Amino acid sequence: MENLSEKLKNEFKKDIEPIAGQDNLMIIKLNKKSLIKKLSWEIKRYFDLLYCLTVVDYAPVFELNYVFSNYRNNDVLVIKVNIDQKDFNIDSISDIFDSANWEEREAYDLFGIKFDGHPDLRRILLPEDWPGHPMKKSFKVDDEIRNWTGLDMKF
Amino acid sequence: MEDSNDFSYPGMYEIIFMKSQKFINAVLNWGRSNSLWPLTFGTSCCAIEMMTVGATKVDSDRLGVLFVGDSPRQSDLIMVSGTITKKMARRLLTVYEQMPDPKYVIAVGACNVSGGLYHDSYNTIEGIDRIMPVDVFIPGCPPRPEQFLDAVKVLQKLIRENKSKAQTHGKSI
Repeated sequence: MENLSEKLKNEFKKDIEPIAGQDNLMIIKLNKKSLIKKLSWEIKRYFDLLYCLTVVDYAPVFELNYVFSNYRNNDVLVIKVNIDQKDFNIDSISDIFDSANWEEREAYDLFGIKFDGHPDLRRILLPEDWPGHPMKKSFKVDDEIRNWTGLDMKF
Repeated sequence: MEDSNDFSYPGMYEIIFMKSQKFINAVLNWGRSNSLWPLTFGTSCCAIEMMTVGATKVDSDRLGVLFVGDSPRQSDLIMVSGTITKKMARRLLTVYEQMPDPKYVIAVGACNVSGGLYHDSYNTIEGIDRIMPVDVFIPGCPPRPEQFLDAVKVLQKLIRENKSKAQTHGKSI
């Protein structure tokens, strides 16, 4: 873990800043979202899987939390990336971590974030012709959503 | 000028035909009401209660509800037990349309009556009567197994009186 943090500091310098840390937990903020792919290749040497990808809605800015974990020990690494609502896309890391495939599809489904380079960016939980992205705070349940069944039939 | 809609009394053969049809319908309804083969469509916790209905303590076999094949092509009653999300609605309709006529529907639990716990959610069908004709509703979250038997009794009464949704919509035969 210490090896990794020193290596990342040398590699990325001002683009990353450590926020908090304990013995086996490290939280790092990444300032440039275009560097996520490069950072993931570095992380791949120490961490085997991306086990969680969460998105938090802070009004115009959305915060992505990539949580990486390990099979060998209890190390956990959290990478925080902010993306703006106007520029609502980020590079996909599904070719580096396989589990990112479905996690990114879920983030796309519920928040509408576009992941560039994703092999199969479809909705994963909701029906494919669903209107809107329900986990955004700007989303409101109106009559169109309430009465939507996706079916043509009426009884 | 002759009108074609003048009234004529039915002849003897027509009366015999009408009477016999009524008798045949009564026999058919009696047979259908006593051999309801259910299709168990369980998506969540109400399905646990539905399993009890087929088991020894609350024995639904006594009323002719045999939990046999579990294939939509051989069943005439669908017990929709559990929350139906909007993605599941199409799957439910696909299963429902495979069943042969006449088919009857029992909506189990608060979720299928009005949305229940998930009322006003963005992803739940608020009552499955929005997407398919329902004969009997069972309230409860989840309902007791005895209520299933009661619902079957009500459905049997409806079928014998020609009042189920399949019969009133003209799909009985």
